[in-house]
Amino acid sequence: MANCVVCGRRAVYIERSSGYAYCERHFLKLFSRRVRKTMRRYELFSEKEDIVIAVSGGKDSLSLLHFMSKLAKRVKGWRIRALLIDEGISGYRDVTKKDFIKFAEEWGIEYRIASFKEEVGLTLDEMVKKGRSIGLPYLPCTYCGVFRRYLLNKVAREMGATVLATAHNLDDVIQTYVMNVIVNNLDKLSRLGPKTGVVRHPKFVPKVKPFYEVLEKEVALYAVLNGIYPSFIECPYARLGVRWTIREMLNKLEERHPGIKYFTLRSLLRMISTIRGAEGAEGGPLTCKICGEPSAHEVCRACQLKIELGLIKP
Amino acid sequence: MRSVYFRVKELRIKIRVVGKEPKVVELGGDRKKVSEMLRELGLLSEEYIVMKGRRVLTDEDVVADGDEVVLVPVVSGG
Repeated sequence: MANCVVCGRRAVYIERSSGYAYCERHFLKLFSRRVRKTMRRYELFSEKEDIVIAVSGGKDSLSLLHFMSKLAKRVKGWRIRALLIDEGISGYRDVTKKDFIKFAEEWGIEYRIASFKEEVGLTLDEMVKKGRSIGLPYLPCTYCGVFRRYLLNKVAREMGATVLATAHNLDDVIQTYVMNVIVNNLDKLSRLGPKTGVVRHPKFVPKVKPFYEVLEKEVALYAVLNGIYPSFIECPYARLGVRWTIREMLNKLEERHPGIKYFTLRSLLRMISTIRGAEGAEGGPLTCKICGEPSAHEVCRACQLKIELGLIKP
Repeated sequence: MRSVYFRVKELRIKIRVVGKEPKVVELGGDRKKVSEMLRELGLLSEEYIVMKGRRVLTDEDVVADGDEVVLVPVVSGG
């Protein structure tokens, strides 16, 4: 049995990188300190913000919602609302959506739900099916990621948000980093910082990641200790993606070499500042000539996919 | 020459991975640290929160014959 390094009580968490053990109370304090430190270090929020939290109903986003709504009680200038994008993945999103609604109502949080079906015209399941039938080479994660981000930005903007917070944790971020390095998507790296979209485009809502420096396991423990027990359900398309294997690899690495994940995070941060130094700020975005939303190219990725899926004409 | 006899008790633990059916596993030995138990099950400590009843166990805690543990997967959906 391990004892809390602060008070000697029975530990619930051992921070493998340091070897320090923490009891429930001191783990929660540590967690809170870390997140607030991330917020300060990267200046994620100012004193007056209309914050929209991107939620899925999973343990990370529910934990972020819980954390932020508690913190907001102490920050007069903050407004907290939640936004869930319903991709329309049957047997999965309908379940996590229910979990989200239950907690949002219990905690008295204002929220909005926008769906792929309403906004784009097809559910993700329908996109996958149609894409396969016409021979498009995309994984489900491609449609999902592109349209979800597109909608998060657009709807958050329509809600009047000054900032959009996502629950990406350290594991998510380093997985994406390693993935993008392996598949040579190096231009995507500058989007992996704790804060993005500040000077980019008038239609772009700045995005922040308050859980940037906490491990996924730490977020899970926060959820368990706070009684946030969402359904443990896996996206039916998850194992098809590259990320699944990367995640396994990084976890095995960390198991053998505790603390190595933090080094990978530092590597990413250094890479981001190198890229930003080279191209100045985040590299100006364009405006999609079809929909007018921020875009990395003349036509944004969402419209490109819509054309390929036959939802709009070029 | 003297012979030495060992009596090895089987360590039977009921494990429930959240989202899956519970099962009883038999591991060698008498008592075992959680970290060893996970390793023998082929699972990574990075990926599970181990609970006994409402208590969260750390890698250093010990499980004994007859214990019922719940493994909460840390990895989210997609």
